[in-house]
Amino acid sequence: MAAVTLLVNGEQRTAHVAPETTLLRMLRDEFQLTGSKLGCDVGDCGACTVIVDGKSVNSCLMLAVQADGRDVLTIEGLATKEQLHPLQQLFEEKGSLQCGFCGPGVIMSAKALLDENPDPSEHDIRDALAGNLCRCTGYTKMIEAIQAVAQLRQDRPAAKSVA
Amino acid sequence: MDKKPAVIEKEAQKELELLRAPAPAPLVPLPIEVLVPEARQQTPAVRQRATRPDARLHGLGATKYIDDMYLPGMLFCKIKRAGIASARILKVDTSEAEAMPGVVAVITGKDVPCNSFGPSLKDQPVLADERVFHAGDGVAAVAAVTEQIAAEALEKIQVEYEPIEPVLDPLLSLQLETPGIHAPSPNIYGHKVIKKGDVQKAFADSYKVYEGQFRTQMVEHVPLEPHSSLATWDANGRVTIYSTLGRITLGRADISRTIGVPMSRIRIVATIVGGNFGGKNEITTEPVVALLSKKTGRPVKCTFTRPEEFTSSTTRHPLIMDYKTGVTKEGKILGRQIRLVLEGGAYCSWSETTLGKACILSAGPYKIDNLYAEAFVVYTNKTMTGAMRGFGAPQVCFAYESHMDDMAKDLGLDPLEMRLMNALEEGSLSPTSQKLHSVVVKESLLQAAERFGWKNGNGHGHGNGNRQ
Amino acid sequence: MKRRGRGIACMWYPIGFTVAANPSAAVVKINEDGTATLLTGTVETGQGSLTILAQIVAQELGIATDDVHVVSADTDTTPMDTGAIASRTTYVTGNAARLAAEKAKNILFEVAAPVLGVKPSQLECADHKIQVLGFPQRNMHIGDVADRARGVNGQPPIGSASYNPATVALDAETGQGKPFATYVYATQIAEVDVDDETGEVEVLRIVASHDCGTPINPMLVEGQVEGGISMGVGFALEEEILFDKFGRQMNPNLTNYIMPTSLDMPKIEVDIVDSYDPTGPFGAKGVGEPTCVSTAAAILNAIHDAVGVRIHSLPATAEKVHAALKAKRAQEARQITAGAA
Repeated sequence: MAAVTLLVNGEQRTAHVAPETTLLRMLRDEFQLTGSKLGCDVGDCGACTVIVDGKSVNSCLMLAVQADGRDVLTIEGLATKEQLHPLQQLFEEKGSLQCGFCGPGVIMSAKALLDENPDPSEHDIRDALAGNLCRCTGYTKMIEAIQAVAQLRQDRPAAKSVA
Repeated sequence: MDKKPAVIEKEAQKELELLRAPAPAPLVPLPIEVLVPEARQQTPAVRQRATRPDARLHGLGATKYIDDMYLPGMLFCKIKRAGIASARILKVDTSEAEAMPGVVAVITGKDVPCNSFGPSLKDQPVLADERVFHAGDGVAAVAAVTEQIAAEALEKIQVEYEPIEPVLDPLLSLQLETPGIHAPSPNIYGHKVIKKGDVQKAFADSYKVYEGQFRTQMVEHVPLEPHSSLATWDANGRVTIYSTLGRITLGRADISRTIGVPMSRIRIVATIVGGNFGGKNEITTEPVVALLSKKTGRPVKCTFTRPEEFTSSTTRHPLIMDYKTGVTKEGKILGRQIRLVLEGGAYCSWSETTLGKACILSAGPYKIDNLYAEAFVVYTNKTMTGAMRGFGAPQVCFAYESHMDDMAKDLGLDPLEMRLMNALEEGSLSPTSQKLHSVVVKESLLQAAERFGWKNGNGHGHGNGNRQ
Repeated sequence: MKRRGRGIACMWYPIGFTVAANPSAAVVKINEDGTATLLTGTVETGQGSLTILAQIVAQELGIATDDVHVVSADTDTTPMDTGAIASRTTYVTGNAARLAAEKAKNILFEVAAPVLGVKPSQLECADHKIQVLGFPQRNMHIGDVADRARGVNGQPPIGSASYNPATVALDAETGQGKPFATYVYATQIAEVDVDDETGEVEVLRIVASHDCGTPINPMLVEGQVEGGISMGVGFALEEEILFDKFGRQMNPNLTNYIMPTSLDMPKIEVDIVDSYDPTGPFGAKGVGEPTCVSTAAAILNAIHDAVGVRIHSLPATAEKVHAALKAKRAQEARQITAGAA
């Protein structure tokens, strides 16, 4: 068993896991953060996308021990008790999610994109989501929602602080 | 990895203890501010762009799908897949798997009280016991304290097969001399005819008769959430099964039949499902987890791996479609003859429905007074084909609309005009002579053409030489 | 070189099971404050059925979508439903839900009528009120009526109903009959670019015109069309389960089973055809499956328009299109040679 200590959604956490445990399994089984999903377990579908040290990552491809000492942000870390994250709000308003299973992964990929590129083109957005498979929505309303969030931040720079 | 048995035992014990520990509180509490979007507060309610309450939970990652569920003492189930397309099962030896530390129970087809089910023909086993009909057939199931141990235990199950020559070509299966895969049942396990008017006379009266053959492939639903179920019994012999099934009433009937328990002792709860598209409309793991849970006295969960989604759940029927259509010089359809061969895979599943729909829809949304449509579905030793979004409609639409364009091109007609000329109208009779109401084929053609800019020549390249 | 092409495809699709009974049952309970609960055995698979069922019940009772809570998919507590299959939920379960709401509503009308001094048949529900037809100023808040129903009349406003589409069995020899209660119709037009050297097809734009009867929730209808089109694009160009000669799948994974990503999707424009089905709940029919039916046909017709080759089997991979182009060029060369001879 290996000891792993890391920041998860701003809080320091520790777990003891078998060395072959993935970051995804540690998040889900050890920390009960089941928002990140297991869709394929081999990095093809993106349902497990989280943000590690600012970069979006397929958490099923990262070993838990590789996350030791790192800063991990999951879907559970976006909203506060008072408000939804703008991505969560706009995804809801625009009807961007249907079955919802790919949702957390898509939202994390979108957040990573907007953190790096606050004014993305449609192609930039499609490119950022290319590793997140969705079978229900055709991606159309997801792109609309991400564009709306980017627009919101252009119109009201104060809204950026919510991120 | 070579470990001493004592070490393995200790690790399994520790896993068990960790599993028994109560779940800690979530790191970030859910927002308690009640935001009710405008559209949800409006009356009248119909036609509102109302947001979905489940979408709120999805965006937060708070929706609990079955694989997110945990019950105290829960065991994990994995199913061993045959890996051979057609065989007799001679022997299944589960003793080595049962002896593995962390493995609590193993079952095979012999442990299933009534080992057959299906939406129409009950030709599908819960776990194959005498015969394997496709490589994705399950032959044994393990319940263990972790998913990892369950997966490793599958390797320890020894199965002895006597291979039987598989039938993989649907056209071969169609021939009467081919040995019956499910003998004594014939390979052609479904047949349907729609007959109206006089097709041969219509062809004789036609300016020209066109023929075309079209084929489609086997595809899979690929729901992002794999099939999953979780069973738990209470002391009164009642089982609760959480499942991704899309139809729980009939699912309960199937489970009652296969595990031999009356319906009043079975509770099926479907959670919010992560995509279905037709692939989750019959039982898969439910009887298995119910039986393992009963045997072990603990809750048991089984979630398909992604490869199992492909090999061991239903797929879309591949079709071979032959079309023959007689038309006037102006492009009016006088008669149509169709033959469909559906590849029906290893088990019947929803093939009867697919056969019926494909046959009825195969003429297309057109006024055709003289029609002969005949459809067959045949067994093959490939993945079972079942319900998938459209039940044969996408396949036949590809055929009849490609066929239509071929005819339009040869006759020098605009594809839009030829369709408008032949389209069903309010009160038209369908291929089964049903008087149709609320018919809007032409409206949809014109509306789409308008938005596309069809009449302006939008979408045509330059120098293609194909402009009508 | 890229060649542009366009293709049109229309389709029809039925609602419900073929001939066979496929009922849905529903229960509506009106709370003492005028909000309500719907019990349904149907399963939410992502398509948004629970939301539109709430809208149907809300419409019948004159309350808002958010006032209706939906409890679903539990064989212990919810009434039977044939399931989320065959695009039947809006039509069959929707009708059952509306009928159940109507029954509960009728209890409220019986209670309110003497108070308002009219017959029950003279009442209607609108905007959280039970009001007199033609005299809306004579009204009671629906919550007050519901509370009165329970506390004064001793008649809790609960309605239970079921619905099964009307069909006629098909003749065994000729297949004639009435297999479905209703059908939907649609057209999709695709615009593509085909690379005439590699055979690669890029779908640029799809215009979709779909009939669903009355759209209970237009946003969810659009979502279904967009999602259906993505399945259609995959069916047309990319997806295929491959088998080896022993009958084993060769690509049971998402690395080698290619399905559309966000980069593969065209610009999609959706129009809902103006239509009304008197047999459906508030004129609605359904939309779940029809959305993926005509996409592949439209794309393949567009390829035909772009480069003049007819691909007869799906998927129309780049290899297939390239081979067809090569064959076409060879044939044209032979014809030229034959002509010159």
